[in-house]
Amino acid sequence: MTKPIIEVKNLAKSFGKNDVLKDITEQVNPGQVIVVIGPSGGGKSTFLRCLNLLETPNSGEVDFDGQNLTTLDTKKVNELREQMGMVFQGFNLFPNMTVLENIKLAPMKVKGMDDAAATKRAHELLDQVNLDDHADAFPSNLSGGQAQRVAIARALAMDPKVMLFDEPTSALDPEMVGEVLNVMQELANQGMTMVVVTHEMGFAKSVADRVWFMADGYIQENNTPDEFFSNPQTDRAKDFLSKILM
Amino acid sequence: MKKKLILLLALVLTVVTGFTALSSTTANAATDNSLTKVEKKGTLVMGTSPDYPPYEFQATVHGKSKIVGMDVAVGKKIAKDMGVKLVVKSMSFDSLLVALQTGKVDMVISGMNPTPARKKNVDFTHTYYQGGYSIVINKSDKGIYKDKDSFVGKTIGAQTGSTMYNESKKQTSGTTVKGMTSVSDLILALQSHKIQGVAMEKPSAQAYVANNKELAAIPSKFDLSASDTSASVAFAKGSDALVAKANKSVDQIKNQNLVNKDYLPAAGKYLKTNTVNTSMLHYWKAFLTGIEYTLIITVCSVFFGFIMGVILALARMGQGGVVRTGLRWLATAYVEFIRGTPMMVQVMFVYFGLGLIVNLPALTSGIIAISLNSGAYVAEYIRGGINSVDDGQTEAARSLGMSSGATMRFVVLPQALKNIWPSLGNEFITLIKDSSIVSIIGVSELIFQSNIVRSDTYRGVAPIAVIMVLYFVLTFTASRILNYFERRMQHD
Repeated sequence: MTKPIIEVKNLAKSFGKNDVLKDITEQVNPGQVIVVIGPSGGGKSTFLRCLNLLETPNSGEVDFDGQNLTTLDTKKVNELREQMGMVFQGFNLFPNMTVLENIKLAPMKVKGMDDAAATKRAHELLDQVNLDDHADAFPSNLSGGQAQRVAIARALAMDPKVMLFDEPTSALDPEMVGEVLNVMQELANQGMTMVVVTHEMGFAKSVADRVWFMADGYIQENNTPDEFFSNPQTDRAKDFLSKILM
Repeated sequence: MKKKLILLLALVLTVVTGFTALSSTTANAATDNSLTKVEKKGTLVMGTSPDYPPYEFQATVHGKSKIVGMDVAVGKKIAKDMGVKLVVKSMSFDSLLVALQTGKVDMVISGMNPTPARKKNVDFTHTYYQGGYSIVINKSDKGIYKDKDSFVGKTIGAQTGSTMYNESKKQTSGTTVKGMTSVSDLILALQSHKIQGVAMEKPSAQAYVANNKELAAIPSKFDLSASDTSASVAFAKGSDALVAKANKSVDQIKNQNLVNKDYLPAAGKYLKTNTVNTSMLHYWKAFLTGIEYTLIITVCSVFFGFIMGVILALARMGQGGVVRTGLRWLATAYVEFIRGTPMMVQVMFVYFGLGLIVNLPALTSGIIAISLNSGAYVAEYIRGGINSVDDGQTEAARSLGMSSGATMRFVVLPQALKNIWPSLGNEFITLIKDSSIVSIIGVSELIFQSNIVRSDTYRGVAPIAVIMVLYFVLTFTASRILNYFERRMQHD
């Protein structure tokens, strides 16, 4: 039995009186691709942001690689965050830097990598997301799909052990969704551990190892995609699936 | 909210009272080692307001602007008798006694009358010159005005803080008395018919009339005691040894009639050489010095003000923890206090107030004061700039493992800077113009230099026009340069 890389125990998070997450206990094993689906407002994004402490949980723990993040000091948390790449719905590329500089920034400033090595690595990653010809472009000149692929390359530049995707295709025009999903699928094929919050059911079906169905602040179901989509257990999941076009 | 307000006020008051308490203790500490102190440092610093010919005025000697006049000759004699070197420091008449009390200068010789009110604050030597008052008028008005009593319904001007000003107020009725800091301004006001007469000491009046064919002098007929028309040297209160020593020199000057025999004629010569060439081109060096200092002050203040602004902005945005909360309050109090007080007062406070603790030169004081002032404004721009950067930027950087400091430095601040660039540029341009305020403590920036040229040439408007153009050239160039950088930062 492999040791889980992420273990969430009794995680709870509220914003004021609004309890967004209420007691979540799950684990992610190395190499697994977890797809988190569920209705909007169900706490999916908050859950993902709690994993790398962009949101501070009210109670419970988040263990990464055996260490409880919620008890660590800021410096240690920064170190562990490097190992969890995150891709955002709104890309969040740095608009004042070129594509190449976006990717090089963290390796150079955090890992102390020299410019030549960082540049070389950045080009490799851009090649991997099929954007090496855009290395010197500024983010404002990229399409949404291109920007999100750069964001993925930027997260990969820190050589993370886990990649967190927060609705990576929700802000994209439909014809650009495919290029981003392809990159993600390739990443999964290479054995990357991934937690993906998405509404792309096709991606969940074909790429996920496990589907977590999340609603009302709980993970309501944790199942294989085949089981989940063909034979959902809870009424909440049945209701959700009946409302989306498959 | 109310509680916060009270806290803020209390904080500000503590800071201010702290300073005043500090200043009063140091002022009292001056005992009478005054003479030995001067002898030890080898210089005697004389404060004067050089716009009062022939007492003291600016003249061009061998192409360099210099303070000359009979008072300077008196100062030289005193210094020589003490065996030390005379250093002449120029400042506005109002500031002279403060400068003396705060140790910026060792003595004041500026045609100053030893009035009872002044005697309360400083010590005077014997009288070195006994003068009288005249009123300078436009020559065309010569038939209209005879003496002080002919100005009913009109306006007389006098130098602010001078005896003439007080006496004009006291001894005229139905006459408006207008105070201005410099006599050259008063003459200018007279010539442009803003005022009808300028009360000043007789020798000064004669000098102005001799140098300007448009002017005439009439007797003032003020009823004056001897002390009102006499000029003495002022020293800091309690410096008896210095006064005693200086009195010996003053007595010699009086006994040998040196003022009338030597000093006044010598000063008159400077006045004559002065009027040979009054074209503005002739004074290009003076203006160049002005530009130089204006730029030094502005650039230094922008630099330090920006650094301060960043620190203050970050302190103001700190969250959580006792230390951070304390810093936030301190920064907020600072910004509010600085924005709530005039820059002119701040400049004087730094020069005269802080000067009690450390003796700062005027230029340094000016730069410090303006940096402190600018920092408060820049802090607010930067705070706005930081807030304008999308939170997603911070989240992206933090998710890459960057610390909050690195995130601020490499991701947020560069973008904030771009957003606030126009405001910062505006602040820079404002500072170029506002740096003129340090002229009151005698820093030779553009305004100060133009005043020198004005009292030097007896021309009122031309130097003003020249610096107006110069300021515009400076600000316009600056705004072009800033625009260039703004364009370079545009990527979207």
